[in-house]
Parts: sequence; C-alpha cells; structure tokens
Amino acid sequence: MTRPLTIKVKAQYDGEDLGASEGLLVAVARLLDPLAEGEALELTSENPSVSGDLRIWCRRAGHRFASSIDENGKSRIVIERGAFLRTLADPPEWGVRMPRRGATVDMRDWLVGRHAAIEEEAARDGSLAPRGASLEEGAPAIEFSIRKRADVWANAISELYEQATSSQWVGARDIPWQELAPLDEVVERAVCQIMTFLAENEYAALYVPARFIGQLHPHFTEAALFLTTVMVDEARHIEVFTKRALANGGGLGVASATTQLSLASLLEPKDFSTASFLLSVLGEGTFLDLLAFLEDHAPERATREICRRARQDEARHVRFGIAHARYAIEADGGAARRFASAVEARAEFLKSVSGVGALIEESLIIYSGGGMNPSSLRTGTRRLAALYQTMHDNRVKRLAAAGFGVDQADHMSRLHTPNFM
Amino acid sequence: MNKPILMGAVAYDPKVVPIWDGIREYMKEAGPGMDYVLFSNYEAQVDALLSGFIDIAWNTNLAYVRTHRRTNGRCRALAMRDTDVDYCSVIVVRTDAGINSVADLRGRTLALGSRDSGHAAILPLYFLKRQDVDPQRGLKLLRFDLDVGKHGDTGASEAAVLNALASGQAEAGAVGDPFWAKALEERAVDGDKVRLLWTTPTYHHCNFTALDSLEEARFGPWVEALLRMDYNNPKHRPLLDMEGLKRWVPAQTEGYRTLFEAVEEQGIE
Repeated sequence: MTRPLTIKVKAQYDGEDLGASEGLLVAVARLLDPLAEGEALELTSENPSVSGDLRIWCRRAGHRFASSIDENGKSRIVIERGAFLRTLADPPEWGVRMPRRGATVDMRDWLVGRHAAIEEEAARDGSLAPRGASLEEGAPAIEFSIRKRADVWANAISELYEQATSSQWVGARDIPWQELAPLDEVVERAVCQIMTFLAENEYAALYVPARFIGQLHPHFTEAALFLTTVMVDEARHIEVFTKRALANGGGLGVASATTQLSLASLLEPKDFSTASFLLSVLGEGTFLDLLAFLEDHAPERATREICRRARQDEARHVRFGIAHARYAIEADGGAARRFASAVEARAEFLKSVSGVGALIEESLIIYSGGGMNPSSLRTGTRRLAALYQTMHDNRVKRLAAAGFGVDQADHMSRLHTPNFM
Repeated sequence: MNKPILMGAVAYDPKVVPIWDGIREYMKEAGPGMDYVLFSNYEAQVDALLSGFIDIAWNTNLAYVRTHRRTNGRCRALAMRDTDVDYCSVIVVRTDAGINSVADLRGRTLALGSRDSGHAAILPLYFLKRQDVDPQRGLKLLRFDLDVGKHGDTGASEAAVLNALASGQAEAGAVGDPFWAKALEERAVDGDKVRLLWTTPTYHHCNFTALDSLEEARFGPWVEALLRMDYNNPKHRPLLDMEGLKRWVPAQTEGYRTLFEAVEEQGIE
C-alpha cells in the first residue's frame, strides 16, 4: 500500500542500472542520513533486483520501504527515513575554509571552525580525535594526565611547528662528510670526546619530551606535534654526533659518571613544565652557546656544519622552552616558584658535581686552541673561560625573558649544572 | 524478592557471551536480576525449558514451534527483536540461469541451508510448494546441513548456498533476508552473477519463550526492562548491533502459523 500524498520526498536519486551491492546502497544511505524521521528519498532504478534488495535492506537499516512502482522498465522507489541515527555524533562541519598564504596552508591559520576552540582544560574523558571532530558517543575514554593548557602551551607554537617542519635536514646527506680527512691525533681525540658528550646530552633531550608526549591530551595538538619535531631533531643530532665520532679513525669516547648523574636528574621532574624549564631554558639554552663555540673553532667543515645545524634546531627548542615557561608563569603565579625550587633541588642533588669534568674541559681547550702545543693551549684556555662567561650572561637573559627578575635570574644561572645541559 | 530469571541461549557464535553478559549487566540496574546459561544446540535448550532448569529460552522459530508442540501450547512468547517481525526468505538465482519467475525454478537445482533452519530450508520449501514448485514438480535440492542443532543461526549454511551459486553448483538458492541484506551491504554479492528473484511472504523468527507456569510477576519486569533498551544509548548500541536489532518488541505469534504448517507437512519432529 502506498500513501503518496502524506510522504515528504526530500531527496532524489537516479540509480540507473546500478545494483544494490555495486554501490547503490552508498548513495541511499548517504542521502537518507541528513533527512528527518519520516522524510523520504525517491529513487529510480532500471535494475530489476533493486526494488527487492532495498525492501530487505530497509528492514536491516531501520528505514521504511514505503512504495515501489514499476513503469516503462523503471522502478520508482520511495524510502522513508527511520528514527535511528547511524552514528551517535553531531553532524560533521561544512563550509570551513582556512586562509591561504600564497601557495601554502600554514598551521598559524588553522584556528577555524570548531577546531579553533581551545579549552583551558581539556575533557577528562580524552580521545584520539582531532580537536573539533564530532566524537561519537560510546567512544572509549582515554586518560591523559596533561589536560591543562597552561601546563604545555606556548604562544606562537604553530609558528614554531611550521619552522621546525620546514627546517628538517638529512644527517646522511646534508653534512659535507666527503671533506672529512685525517686530523692530528690529539685534535681527533678531542673531537671524538666532545661528540660523545654531545650525543649523551641529546639522549636526555630526546627522552625528556618522550616521557610526556604520551600523557599529553591531543586537544593541545599543536604542543604534541611540536614536541614530536623536537624528538625528531634530537634523534638526528644523536645520529650525526655519533657518526662524527665513528667516521674519522677515532671512535666513541667516555661517558662520565658526573655527566650521567647530571642528565639523570633531568628525568626526575614529574610535571612537563618543570622538566621543560630545566631542559630547554637552562640546558638547551646553555647548549646554544656551546654549539656556537664548537662551530666557531671547528677543525674541519663537517664538524662545523654539524654544530651549525644542531644549533639552529636547538634555538627553536629554546624558544619554545622560554615561551612555555612564560605562558605557565603568566597563567599561574606558583609556576615561577616551582621552577626556582626545581633549580635549587637540582643543584642540591648535583652538589658533588664541581665541573664539567676534566675530560671534557681538556677536550674543549685542545679543540678550540687547535692542538696541544703551548700557544694552542693558551688560546684554548682563554676561549673556554670566555665561553663560561657567555653561557652565564645568556642564561640570565633567557631567564629574564621567561619572566624572572635580573637578581633571581643571576642566582638561578649560577646554580645551573656545570655540566651545561 | 523474586529469584533471578535464568535465561538460556544457544552459543552459535563467540559474541553470544558479550551480548548476554552485557544484558545481564544492564538488568542489574534496569530490571530484575538475571543470569544465563549457554547450550550448544536448541534441542537441549528446549529440554531445559521443559524440565524447568531455565525460566526463559531465547528460541529460534523452530525451537518455539517445538516447545509449543511438546507442551500442547502451554507456553508463551514474551518478546522478540524488531527484526524478528516480517522476516522473510529470499530466493536468489544465477543471472545466467534464465530463471525469470518462480515457476522457472522447476527442473532446476535449489541450494538450501541447514535442514533445521526455518529461514534457509523449511520455510522456503513450504512457500515454494504453494507456488507449485517442489521436488514432486522436478525441483532438485542441494542441501548444506551445516551446524545442525543451531537452526541456521551461524550463517555458515547460507554462506555455502551463495558459494554454490557463485561456483555454478546450483542455479538457485534460499537464504534469510538479514543474511542477504548484510551480503549486499558488505558488497559481497556479485550482481552480475547472482541476483534476487523472489521473496517469500513474511513470518516471525526468534522469541523469548517461557512455560505458561512462569508467573507474570517474574517475567513482566524483565520484559519491560528489555523493551526499554535504546539504540540511541551508546552503552546499549553495541549489544543490540551484535544481536541484530534496533529495539525489542512485545511478542506477536500469528507469524508462526506457517512454520507450524511446514513442520507438519515436512514431517519434522
């Protein structure tokens, strides 16, 4: 029985001779989805099996097969939408369009539509859905312990992410390895020891964000994605520092107990902000000056290029560290105090560590002076002393940029580990 | 305090456990307490209902008809799935077999599911006979008696029917309409080779069966709670999807008449 006068046909489709299992059900389901209960889809078909197939499918799908009329070898079929939703989710967005920057689509411009709404605190029931996606009810609740924006955010984080992805380089290809030639043995030994030291520090810089990224609520996707680039950068640094030690007749040097103790203490903080402050503002900040020093005094081009490229990456990590510390301090008055106490606690923990260690200091003097003859050593010694001063001065500036007063910044800088990182 | 309802179901698939575990959990809050036991076949489940070991049996149509015959009607259907109302069987044919009407099936080979499947064997034969198509009129039968005892629930014999058509072993076959709808939806049907020819008149499929000695005070609240399950509730939806329904409905029994007749006619005990 048909009731053509009472049926509101809201969608139409000509299925031609397409069979139900050949794709027709895709169109039928998609066209019924947006209709209200009781509204109808009118379908024409030249395929003789379609009417029977759809009658059966409607029963399974919860729709009402209202009528089917055959005329001139065609069926005209009317299906009334049933009450049930196929997915228990709000409808998807439509009409959202990011602005373009010339030919590029930039993360800085992606705060559009529902994606633009960044909460100060993400929902306790987390998910792996992109921010702004329509999450279906019944999805499992995934717990993420980092749920507050202030605990992970930084201004200009999208800009930092875009810089990071566009500045990626290839350790095997982008270093002039072909120019590497045998060096004077004392210098090569110094290079190898320094590369070993740099690599072990970068393991810390890789493992600190790695410990937090799995706890970070994907609502703060910019932070998760940026930290992923940090990890990729650190992996590449470990790669090239290790390659340099192995590539020119020397080999890996000593990983000293004091360096390991200092690095182990970076793994201690339980909250991301404190860990990031110690690692990125103080540690990687200090590393910037070390890498500039190694670049300036490199014995050959491959090592110089390694240090230059690593320094550029580290500068981005430091910018994030400062911007995040500043964001955290502005959002929460207690953050500055927490950071300061973490510096004190780390200094207390490392009080047995009085310097970077003889092996590293001697290597830095030989490396920067160019050898072990008296005039080289004199030059190297002066240069290392100047490096220490530069490191302190710049740490104070970075701490001030993060939001500390000059006196406190000076005090905190002096408490920083003599191990650099 | 009534003692909990003990329900029986047949373990035709591993998902039977999460389905009834989930409904038992639901009933903890929504209705009277219940527990369930699983049987490997419907005959054992019907015996357990008749002996009083279980209060309610989640029965196929054939299991319901058997219960009814063995109790001389002293049993009642309590509830069923929305999909158990207006169930039908589908006669599908090879497109190259030159079969354009039900009458054309005479002299051809028809693949059938398990002999104890109401929808894939018993009722297709019953309804075809009323179209003057049966073995006496030259219809050849190719039976796939798989998972006998589970009344066709596993779908294995229906899959065998479609395979027999695809391979050319049979020119026609009978399956239940949910199986056909699912095959279409999963694009598992090659429309160039196999198509729907005819659908039988509708009938009822499964129901919850109790003996009429079970007091309404015991089954009433349980059935009411069942009817309140909601497909739009994300906790209920996976259970209902697994069991193949959108909502539970009060039982109707007029749709079993044809199966009673078919069982008599075909001499099925």
